[in-house]
Amino acid sequence: MSKTIVRTINLSKVYRRGKVDVPALNDVNLQVLAGEIVGIMGPSGSGKTTLLNLIGGLDKPTRGKIFVDGVDITVLGEKELADYRLRKVGFVFQFYNLIPTLTALENVEVPLALLGVPKAERRERALNLLKTVGLEARADHKPDELSGGEQQRVAIARALVNNPSIVLADEPTGDLDSKSALSLMNLVKDLNKRNGQTFIIVTHDPIVAERCTKIYTIRDGRIENA
Amino acid sequence: MFSWSLAARNLKRRRLRTALTVSGIVVGISMMFILLSLVSGMEAQARSMVRFLGGADITVSNSTLFRDRMGGGGFFGLPSPSTLDESIIEVISKLPGVYAISPQFSFSGSINGRRITVYGVTPSSYEIVTGGLNIVEGSFLSDNSNGEIVLGKALVNLLNITRGDTVNLSTGQGGKERIFKVIGIFETGMIFQEYAGYITLADAQNITGEHGLVTQILVKCEDPSIVSNVANIIQSTVPGVRVTTPTTAIQQATQMLNTLTMFFATIGLVALFAGSFGVINTMIMSVTERTREIGILKAIGAKSRDIMKMFLAESLLIGLIGGGVGVAVGGILAYIFPILTPGLFTISSSPFGMRNPSVGGRVMLNIRLATPAITPTNIILCFSLGALVGVLAGLYPAWRASRMKPVEALRHV
Repeated sequence: MSKTIVRTINLSKVYRRGKVDVPALNDVNLQVLAGEIVGIMGPSGSGKTTLLNLIGGLDKPTRGKIFVDGVDITVLGEKELADYRLRKVGFVFQFYNLIPTLTALENVEVPLALLGVPKAERRERALNLLKTVGLEARADHKPDELSGGEQQRVAIARALVNNPSIVLADEPTGDLDSKSALSLMNLVKDLNKRNGQTFIIVTHDPIVAERCTKIYTIRDGRIENA
Repeated sequence: MFSWSLAARNLKRRRLRTALTVSGIVVGISMMFILLSLVSGMEAQARSMVRFLGGADITVSNSTLFRDRMGGGGFFGLPSPSTLDESIIEVISKLPGVYAISPQFSFSGSINGRRITVYGVTPSSYEIVTGGLNIVEGSFLSDNSNGEIVLGKALVNLLNITRGDTVNLSTGQGGKERIFKVIGIFETGMIFQEYAGYITLADAQNITGEHGLVTQILVKCEDPSIVSNVANIIQSTVPGVRVTTPTTAIQQATQMLNTLTMFFATIGLVALFAGSFGVINTMIMSVTERTREIGILKAIGAKSRDIMKMFLAESLLIGLIGGGVGVAVGGILAYIFPILTPGLFTISSSPFGMRNPSVGGRVMLNIRLATPAITPTNIILCFSLGALVGVLAGLYPAWRASRMKPVEALRHV
């Protein structure tokens, strides 16, 4: 049986907007097994992105715990969280979020550079990943010279380059046409099958949902079908 | 990391803004560089002037300074220094703090028809007291030299004399003449100082007929710190003498130099200060523009320190470019500036404290105090100053960037 890789316990997040408290997540108990492709769906404002940011260590919960690989990340300091994001998590965003001044290859190299991997080695590893996502021919192009689908593939390569346990994707196909979305999801499935990487994908897109191994729906900060 | 290449690319992406920001630093740094080059130049000139003034700690002369020398006659009947009796040497040498003394007899003479200043010196003590001349060819006089002369390089070039030649030295029109053999050539780096010749004191007294008399007594003190004390003692013990120290002689020049230094330093620092605000402004804009980028980098694992380094690299680069261009521009201006404003940067001087046309003419006496000296120290100093301003001005923006919360930064459009 697959082991549990992410587990949240009574996870709650309340945002303060001026003097009003706005609850975004309410006692979310979620369990993700290693190797799953989990889709998180729900109307906008339901707390999907908040959940993803909390699991990714980008934000801190108001209450509750998050265990990733058995470690409670809610008690980590800022520096340790940065390290956690660098080694354990890969992020894919809706708007690709590549560094505009760097080439595709260099964008993939950034996490390796942050880890202090020597230049020759990071070149090789980044190029290999670009090959995997089918973009080796575009390695020296800047983001603004790539299509949306291509940029998102670069972003996936960047998310995978440090061999993270989990890849978190926030509406990865939200800005892509259906053809690009389909080919992106085929890539995700392929990578998942090959390396056993866990994906947690926030999405509205049925193309994505169809290819997930499990779907959760969030409404008003609560998971409806956990 | 990517810090350097990212910094360079971001600066390139906003060429005009970078250029304008860098110019702010360039103005300040070039100001500082001009200043430092001029001061270094002046220092070098002052050093050689001290050497020219005898290199001695103290010069003692007759308080009346000049007398009319009847022997000169005609249009060239110029005043010559008043004399002191040789007996004073004995008195001064016994005063406390005096390490060594050397008497000197200087007069206005001519070689092959060319007017020069002639110094009669006692070679051994002259070298002890003044450190000696910078001999570039041949040798200096010895105590038992007789009929030998050491001439300045500019003079031998002008008169086409070489070492080993004989010259005809006269004390002026209608004065005594004697043949001297050129045994050495000295160089001072200042042309007007090189229209001079050195012979022994005995030869000088013989040719002028002033036996037992000297025009100056050069004094070396036991310690440089007691020079003014010893000068005061001589002044109060020996009647009828005028005591000068090179320090007082170049004080005027130094004073002007200091005023100029302060003036430039203030302008340079103010300009640099203003320029640093430009850097702060540019860096804050750069941080704001790239808020999202900071969010991305933090999301994929960059630590605050990494972000800080990234922006510091950028402002340091601005400082380095500013420092480099500033040094280059300053170096060029340091040469052009004195040419454009000759009056401001020259002082007049002569061996005896006034214009003395007999020493090569009026023009020769305009010392270009402001010949800039471009030294490696100044280059390194100004370059580092640019880098320092870059880093200091970048600290706050970089700190602000590093403190951004990843979620908020990512939300930024």
